[in-house]
Amino acid sequence: MNVGFIGLGIMGQPMALNLVKGGHTLAVYGRRAETVQPLEANGATACGSPRDVAAKSEITIVMVSDTPDVEQVILGENGVIHGARPGSVVVDMSTISPSATRAMAKKLAEKGIEMVDAPVSGGDIGAIQGTLSIMVGGKPEVFERVKPVLECVGKTIVHIGPNGAGQVAKACNQIVAGVTIQAVAEALTLARASGVDAGKVRDALLGGFAYSRILEVHGKRMLDRVYKPGFKAKLHQKDMAIVLREAHQLGLALPAAALVAQQFNAMVGAGEAELDNSGIIRVLERAAGRGMVEA
Amino acid sequence: MNVGFIGLGAMGRPMALHLLKGGHPLGVYARRPESARPLEEAGAKAYGSPAELAAACDAVFTIVTTTRDVEQVVLGERGIAEGARPGTVVVVMSTIDPAASRRIAEELERRGVEMLDAPVSGGEIGAMAGTLSIMVGGKPEVFERIRPLLECMGKTIVRIGESGAGQVAKMCTQLAIVATLQGIAEAVTLANAAGVDASKVLDALEKGAAASHLLELMGRRMVNRDFAPGVEARLHHKDAQLVLECARDAGLALPLAALATQTFNALMARGGGKLDSSAIVTVVEAAAGRR
Repeated sequence: MNVGFIGLGIMGQPMALNLVKGGHTLAVYGRRAETVQPLEANGATACGSPRDVAAKSEITIVMVSDTPDVEQVILGENGVIHGARPGSVVVDMSTISPSATRAMAKKLAEKGIEMVDAPVSGGDIGAIQGTLSIMVGGKPEVFERVKPVLECVGKTIVHIGPNGAGQVAKACNQIVAGVTIQAVAEALTLARASGVDAGKVRDALLGGFAYSRILEVHGKRMLDRVYKPGFKAKLHQKDMAIVLREAHQLGLALPAAALVAQQFNAMVGAGEAELDNSGIIRVLERAAGRGMVEA
Repeated sequence: MNVGFIGLGAMGRPMALHLLKGGHPLGVYARRPESARPLEEAGAKAYGSPAELAAACDAVFTIVTTTRDVEQVVLGERGIAEGARPGTVVVVMSTIDPAASRRIAEELERRGVEMLDAPVSGGEIGAMAGTLSIMVGGKPEVFERIRPLLECMGKTIVRIGESGAGQVAKMCTQLAIVATLQGIAEAVTLANAAGVDASKVLDALEKGAAASHLLELMGRRMVNRDFAPGVEARLHHKDAQLVLECARDAGLALPLAALATQTFNALMARGGGKLDSSAIVTVVEAAAGRR
């Protein structure tokens, strides 16, 4: 199938490569030339704009950072909407606002263009291995059309509901991930502050009711004090802001999510935007002034 | 000086009337003509668009609700920017995002039009009494030109700093207010839940270290279940979210502001948007299944 791919960053590049490997004919667009070259070397066609990508594609995948970026790529000057043919599908795999997603799907539908939101979970490792978890919002029949393509980049692919539902699922994912990371950070900080071996505490917890993948993976990073991303703090900060805006619009109190968003704000303010989100533990350590940060 | 006023709601109407009383020829614009009528009866002239109004004025005040409303009124089709002459001053008295405020000011500056951000504190009572507290951002010389007009509407008028600084000060105000309201609501709920006369607790608190204007005013409303606004909760709800966006932009953890915002979110869902903000006490109660 002729597939377009826009956004060739840490996530997008390996995903696009997996699509090439899956036998699809790829047209790509990336803002920076160096991100496009590896795809060209593998047979993809580089295009000058999202519009040109969409004109060549039955399915156009978008994987950029934030809501304004997606709006620019899809609706902006030389955007996808100006090139895509009626009946073609736009698959937005970025993590953005559910309400903005619904608005874009409506604008595309006016031109006969289908859209699904398909944000992912699983990080750069999942993107490289092609094992992402993909949460999809859109019409069932459109989901069935894009599913074989998504199967090149992901393992768990779930149709959640209509447009925006995938983004809602992703927001839920980010609440659970964010709050759990904070909980693990607080637990390990309590252990250390009490003079107890935090590594042994983690070992014990891993065998019990508090087991989680985050305790295992992020807990280890906190113990080792190695905060190489992974998933950057600034991106989790962005996602928590999406969560809080939805809560604000819906009239919903999400107190734990609201607090975790503040911790990510503090990381970014402390110059730790590019660290892994497990670095959230440093905010606790600094606040307590225990000199544990460098300990 | 020919003065214009846009946004004739609960705050704007009494503020505009004060400008008239101060002896300033006043032009007004309102989306709904009936909102302009009380002003016309008092001697103001109504215009068909912000652009037409601005063309006839040396200074144009606006106090519409959201950032988007301000952008529409100032930069939108037939907005102030289309009609204003170079040297005209636009005074934005709405509470909006400081970053957006700076953007709008820059856009006007390119056209030679001056702008002050001048959000207010003091509510409808302050607007009617002409005793608002006004926090101003913008050039000192523009502030001095506009100051006599602001004095018609407010008592405490402080230039905080450059463009956007007034909005930052307002964010600080709203942060302190919503966080304090949450504390007062929790204190009143604790008193009630513990079977103690909350009114007597307030009597004691008002004389002690926890005394504050908000405790007296809003604490009493919570105890008396008198939720007639006042300041409508939907406005604090809007501003609290602006505070969180500022915290994000600044890379700052503001945990209390974040929690208080959630309480206001819940009050909206309970249909309390047009109640006084003291109604957040009902959210604290409802969470524990009380009342």
